[in-house]
Amino acid sequence: MAPKKQKEKSRANLADDEALEWLKPRVLIKPEDQENVPEAELDEEVGRILTTINPQWVPDEVAFHYGQGRFVTKPKPTFGKAYPLYVYQGTAIRKDSDEAKAQIAAGYGMVGFDDAGPKRAKVKKSAAEEEEEEEPEAEPTPAEEAKAEEDAVGEEEKYQEKEPPVEPTEAPSVTETEVAAEGAEEAEAEEKEAVPEEAGDEEVFHIKPRVKKLANQFNFCERAALTYVYPRRSVETQTVPPPRANYGSTALQCIIFDYYQEDYAKKMREKEEEKPKRLRKKTTKHAKSAQQIHDEQLAQRIREAWAILERLVNQNIYDDIAQDYRYWDDPSDEFREGMGSLLPLWRFQFEPMRSHAVCDLQWNPHYQDLFAVAYGSLDFTQQQKQGCLCLYSIKNPAYPEYSVITESPIICLDVYKETPYLICVGRYDGNVCVYNAQLTLESSYQYKSDSVRDKHSNIVWEIRWGARLIDGEASFFSVSGDGRVVQWAVMPGELQATTIIALRSTAAPVPGPDGTLINVNSCGSCICFHPEKSDIFLVGTEDGAIHTCSLKYNRSYVRSCQAHHMPVYRINYNYFNNTIYASCSGDWRVKIWEDGRDEPLFMFELGSPVGDVKWAPYSSTVFAACTADGKVYVYDLNVNKYRPICVQAVVSKKTKKLTRIDFNRKLPVIVCGDTKGTCHVLKLSPNLRVMCKPPKKAQGIDQRTLQIMKLDKLLSLVRDPPFTPGVVDEKFEED
Amino acid sequence: MANEAEETVRKLAMHRGVAGVIVVNGEGIPIKTTLDNHVSVQYAGLMTALVDKAKAVVRDLDPSNDLTFLRIRSKKSEVLVAPDKDFILIVVQNPTE
Repeated sequence: MAPKKQKEKSRANLADDEALEWLKPRVLIKPEDQENVPEAELDEEVGRILTTINPQWVPDEVAFHYGQGRFVTKPKPTFGKAYPLYVYQGTAIRKDSDEAKAQIAAGYGMVGFDDAGPKRAKVKKSAAEEEEEEEPEAEPTPAEEAKAEEDAVGEEEKYQEKEPPVEPTEAPSVTETEVAAEGAEEAEAEEKEAVPEEAGDEEVFHIKPRVKKLANQFNFCERAALTYVYPRRSVETQTVPPPRANYGSTALQCIIFDYYQEDYAKKMREKEEEKPKRLRKKTTKHAKSAQQIHDEQLAQRIREAWAILERLVNQNIYDDIAQDYRYWDDPSDEFREGMGSLLPLWRFQFEPMRSHAVCDLQWNPHYQDLFAVAYGSLDFTQQQKQGCLCLYSIKNPAYPEYSVITESPIICLDVYKETPYLICVGRYDGNVCVYNAQLTLESSYQYKSDSVRDKHSNIVWEIRWGARLIDGEASFFSVSGDGRVVQWAVMPGELQATTIIALRSTAAPVPGPDGTLINVNSCGSCICFHPEKSDIFLVGTEDGAIHTCSLKYNRSYVRSCQAHHMPVYRINYNYFNNTIYASCSGDWRVKIWEDGRDEPLFMFELGSPVGDVKWAPYSSTVFAACTADGKVYVYDLNVNKYRPICVQAVVSKKTKKLTRIDFNRKLPVIVCGDTKGTCHVLKLSPNLRVMCKPPKKAQGIDQRTLQIMKLDKLLSLVRDPPFTPGVVDEKFEED
Repeated sequence: MANEAEETVRKLAMHRGVAGVIVVNGEGIPIKTTLDNHVSVQYAGLMTALVDKAKAVVRDLDPSNDLTFLRIRSKKSEVLVAPDKDFILIVVQNPTE
């Protein structure tokens, strides 16, 4: 576009000149000092020359460049007073220039340049036509323009001829290529013209990519298209915000500890899994599912929690009693020399068993607060259909800790000392069972005798655990009304019965209906094992005899004596002296026996059938008995050989009878049962549990030795004057 | 199990002086109660918080230790709490009755 503007400029100058000619005034005013010029000289044509070169510019001017620290050529100033009127860029380039070399290398040989001629002409023509079409009104100007152009070209050519060929020739070639390359960027082209040295360097970069396209400037046409300006719009979408939650926690020591425990358990499990598969399978075979285990544990925990709660509630209710049974002693004992009393503590009753009698009871040998009760019936005309085995704890007097209803009344029981949760019971129907109190209440007995083959044919009156068999099985013995003593071996899954002895009766054989004589067995009513010699045992019978038997002889008795006139209800060995035992009977009497003596050492008449007699575990000379008229008698032979030191009515004799009694092994309490299903726990007052004082000479002797000594002394007193039969009776009668 | 629980609750509620028995599950919701509803809910909520706190105290003093039981004796009544990680049993008793 620049050349065009320049053309217009030059055209305007020319027009001014012509106008001046037209407007020349007729009268010329001449200054006086005007030099007279002859006509000839005036007519002489003086050419006005326009040059593109700044005549004031010194090409070799240098200046010191402080940055580079040397003299540099001053750049050619931009058009100060020189105005480029027209710039024409040619297409010719120097053959030896880099660009030409590049073009030749790229396949544009000399032919290309030769051919360029006519092509260019053609293009020029078309360009002219275009201009004509664009501006049809400007008719007169083209000629002048062309003329001016020619003039300008001519002048330039002249100038080029005059000037040293270095600069100008270089400049046009540069500008020309620039234009060809960059098209419309004229301003830049002018700058390039002004700074030729720099342009030369840049050339290399620009040309190379355009080597093939040798478009000339006339071929250039600029087209612009205005596209629609789409309205800008902003589109926003909102995503669902990621869920957020506030979390707060406290790191307590216990939490950290728990995590460590968990981690440890996990590591253990991993270790377990690393084990060979064979070992693992065995362990997993019987394993229950985790859920099941969890449920069971939960149920167990709930049960325990309920049990504790119940005990606590009871503790609140029976707070005074709970305090008393341990720490309250009857202060009046100090003033009653040799007499004691019983303090009633709790009464245990199981609602469904109100009409049953307590047929047997026993403190647990392992847990001091627990005792087992057998519910049955002693009223044989109106026998109950059911029985019950209960375990009571004095911590919970309201309900039994364990209770299981049996289909037949339970007459006797015994708790196994080795495993105190195993309880064997003897029933009214002659069966014996073993109950496991650890099992849940739903399951009843663990073992039961075979109802057809082995069971007793009469009431099982007493049952006692014995020593283990040679094979290691536990065994127990039962004595029954059918006259047999049977040993039961607890085999896996069953009870194996062995008849130890059949009790012969002293009565003569009874003739049967057909005349044959039938031997009558005597009915066993109680059994008691020797504390040390496990094969020796005493059997009491309903006809009042006490037989000393041995497991080794199943035909005959070791000893036999007619001890009572009525059924023997209970025989009990002294805890301190193995040769001393007590027996009680329905003939109202309690007798103290020594092994090997046919006559009792002591005999006491209690005025009512004596249900039970027990030696005290804490003293060698104390025993207690309970009678059918509801009284508990406590004797201390060391204090009084003839009278009880305590007689206390526990139940009303009109409605109830006392059946069984038992001393607690550790606590100073006794429990006794009555015929209405109630168990009474009584505390022994201090006078009933007098301990031995060691003599001054031997302070270090322990209580047990002292107790033995006490009993021995007592026995020697009784024995020494060799008493004749009937002495004791006489003494008793004297009292 | 359900029968057993019923039976136990019945048994406990029959004891002298027992004002109410509440079984609270692990989330602190009373699932079985002999008291009226809003009292049970109040007891459950408060006791759950107290049990947590008490447990934290016991565990913090000795991490291998654990809380097994809680008795709160007040002028009017005594609250017995058996805490567990899966349930809480609460018995309200009036021991002076």
